[in-house]
Amino acid sequence: MSFILSAAAKDLRRWWRDPMVLLVWLGIPLLIGGLITSLMSGGGSGVRPTGVLLVVDQDDSLVSRAVTGMFGQGELAEMITLKAVSIEDGRTQMDAGDASALLVIPAGFGEAWLREQPATLTLRTNPAQKILPQIITEGLELLLDAGFYAQRAFGEEIKVIADWRETGREAEAGRIDAIVAAVRDRLESVKAYLLPPAVTVELVETGQEADKVSLALLFLPGIVLMAVMFTASGLASDIWEEREQGTLRRLSSSPQDIVKFLLGKTLAATLVLFCITGITLVLGFALHGMAWSRLAPALAWTVLSGAGLFLWFAAVQMLAPTRRAAGLISSIIVFPLLMAGGSFFPLAALPDWIAAFGRLTPNGFVAEQLTSEITSAAGWAITPASWGLILLIGIAGLGVAATQLSRGFAQR
Amino acid sequence: MIAVDSLRRLYGDVVAVEDVSFRAGEGMVFGLLGPNGAGKSTVINCISGLLKPSSGHVSVAGFDLQREPRKARSALGVVPQELALYEDLPAVENLRYWGAAYGLKGTELKTRVEEVLGYIGLGDRAKDLPKTFSGGMKRRLNFGCGIVHRPRVLLLDEPTVGVDPQSRERLFAMVEEQRDAGACVLYTTHYMEEAERLCNQLVIIDHGRVLAAGTVAGLRAKLGERDTLLLTGDFPDGAASRAVERLVGNGLRDLEIIATAGDSLKLTLSDGSRHLAAVFEALAAVGARVDESNLRRPNLETLFLKLTGKELRA
Ligand SMILES: Nc1ncnc2c1ncn2[C@@H]1O[C@H](COP(=O)(O)OP(=O)(O)O)[C@@H](O)[C@H]1O
Ligand SMILES: [Mg+2]
Repeated sequence: MSFILSAAAKDLRRWWRDPMVLLVWLGIPLLIGGLITSLMSGGGSGVRPTGVLLVVDQDDSLVSRAVTGMFGQGELAEMITLKAVSIEDGRTQMDAGDASALLVIPAGFGEAWLREQPATLTLRTNPAQKILPQIITEGLELLLDAGFYAQRAFGEEIKVIADWRETGREAEAGRIDAIVAAVRDRLESVKAYLLPPAVTVELVETGQEADKVSLALLFLPGIVLMAVMFTASGLASDIWEEREQGTLRRLSSSPQDIVKFLLGKTLAATLVLFCITGITLVLGFALHGMAWSRLAPALAWTVLSGAGLFLWFAAVQMLAPTRRAAGLISSIIVFPLLMAGGSFFPLAALPDWIAAFGRLTPNGFVAEQLTSEITSAAGWAITPASWGLILLIGIAGLGVAATQLSRGFAQR
Repeated sequence: MIAVDSLRRLYGDVVAVEDVSFRAGEGMVFGLLGPNGAGKSTVINCISGLLKPSSGHVSVAGFDLQREPRKARSALGVVPQELALYEDLPAVENLRYWGAAYGLKGTELKTRVEEVLGYIGLGDRAKDLPKTFSGGMKRRLNFGCGIVHRPRVLLLDEPTVGVDPQSRERLFAMVEEQRDAGACVLYTTHYMEEAERLCNQLVIIDHGRVLAAGTVAGLRAKLGERDTLLLTGDFPDGAASRAVERLVGNGLRDLEIIATAGDSLKLTLSDGSRHLAAVFEALAAVGARVDESNLRRPNLETLFLKLTGKELRA
């Protein structure tokens, strides 16, 4: 036990020397969370209203279809019926008060968005209705912003990867390294997120002050999981740091048990995860006025899951032949998982097949359970089976990571 | 304290160590001398348990490394060739961590860490990060981390590589203190002077095999009392051997060529200084030209040269 504590203390002391990294892992999700919250400030969700959204798609591009597609999926689809109309029909129906809103996507919108040029969507809302036009407006802005931030952060990489796909060329190792480095730099330069978006939604008519729906709450678990994934995968790369410093070799020639060493590192990672998810959850709870009695189970659930993810990330990184490859594999795993697992868009807003897949991803599963916890009528809503499952996954991760450590990774 | 029997280790098809056997007892510095790539680190790593021998046996402090690895490792202190430190953890925390890894705790750990800090001359830099240290200071800390737990057997793999002369002297003194305190120190190096200065016994290895073993004095005796004469200049084909034949005929009975290579010639002979003039004369007579000469008393370098036909540091 005493060595586990020594090992954990040693790691915490080392990690504490690099607080910037910890701040970035915390900062990105908080920024995204803050952004979403500012777009749709919370309030109690009441009866679920339903209505009709008229869409005039003059663009008919992939992007415009993605915009309208969002309203046709999951939870939003239950509230909003999408109707494609011509511009004349749309105006007539709006004037008659038959629909909640009319969205006009002008020709050339998709092209402009891809090129990051200014573009305008026109949204005409029904002043007679309150809640639905609000949801539609917020949802639309949110979608554009989320897309915008993805574009802002990784546009260059997306282009390069798209080029490879087109030309079918083999990815050269050097290019991959450059991209990984660029993605990391991009993540660290938080500034990029502060630039103003290029797309504006022009509201032709707004209703009066409307009741607000806490759609933002849907995003909270995904954001928390984003912080967890960044932290867990980032801390897991420390196993490579230890190997390169030669300390793993020295440890292997000591009489010490390598499992204790790994438990110490996991304990240190758990404490870091506790702080980072703690801050994220407390802020989320405060902003959305959620019941504080759910905080303890939500935090315990997230931290336990984070520890398991940390061990699996460590195990996966140890499979890589070099440290750079380990970093690359990590990014390749983290971003699609975040995407599918509902961190960029809530699962409810994703196409059904992606959402179904997303619920099977570890982070998607954890986020889904977290959602059920924070929206439940009573605390401790996550089933014992789920707790058991996540605990088992963590223990399996420990087993796999320890096996790799003792079967050569530490000795090489 | 260390017993190595018929140790053999392969890397794929490459034989790194072949049939190495030796015994090192307590209170001595046992040397493993050989050029780069000789297999020294491979032997050390087989003893520290980092590598599994392909065949053969290793025991440390009476414990077989295969059967009782924990006990064997507890007796061991390792100072690896490559630094093994947390660069971003203060020196004192490095020592504490490694002390804990070897089972020290509480006040015992604390006092021992203070002791070692003073001993390796880093008392005033205890709170600083190793990444701010000079090469020599890092080596000293690397050494310190290997001895926090007072090991009875200490493995040192080329501890002086890349070290300034002062730190080197400090390291030598520390090795001698460990030996005097009763530890068994296994010391690898490719510097013949270090082996001659520190080691009570040694084995010379090359290409993974033991070439010679014994005490420094014993190994020297193998050479006889002959000196080495190193000449550079121009030695046409066959000229050197003709000159040597002539000199042997004239009474220089133990004169021998140990190596020739184009512009250099290495000879061994007794009482070299008295016969220098005769050697030069004989070489001139067969058409050779001498530009530089260097006469050396016998040492391990000479022995290595004689055993392998090549320089130790080549
Ligand atoms: N991991 C390895 N894989 C393949 N060959 C190795 C490896 N480590 C060492 N060798 C080879 O084994 C031989 C002995 O190496 P080593 O024990 O490091 O020598 P020394 O420490 O005396 O310089 C060398 O020929 C080296 O190239
Ligand atoms: Mg070596």
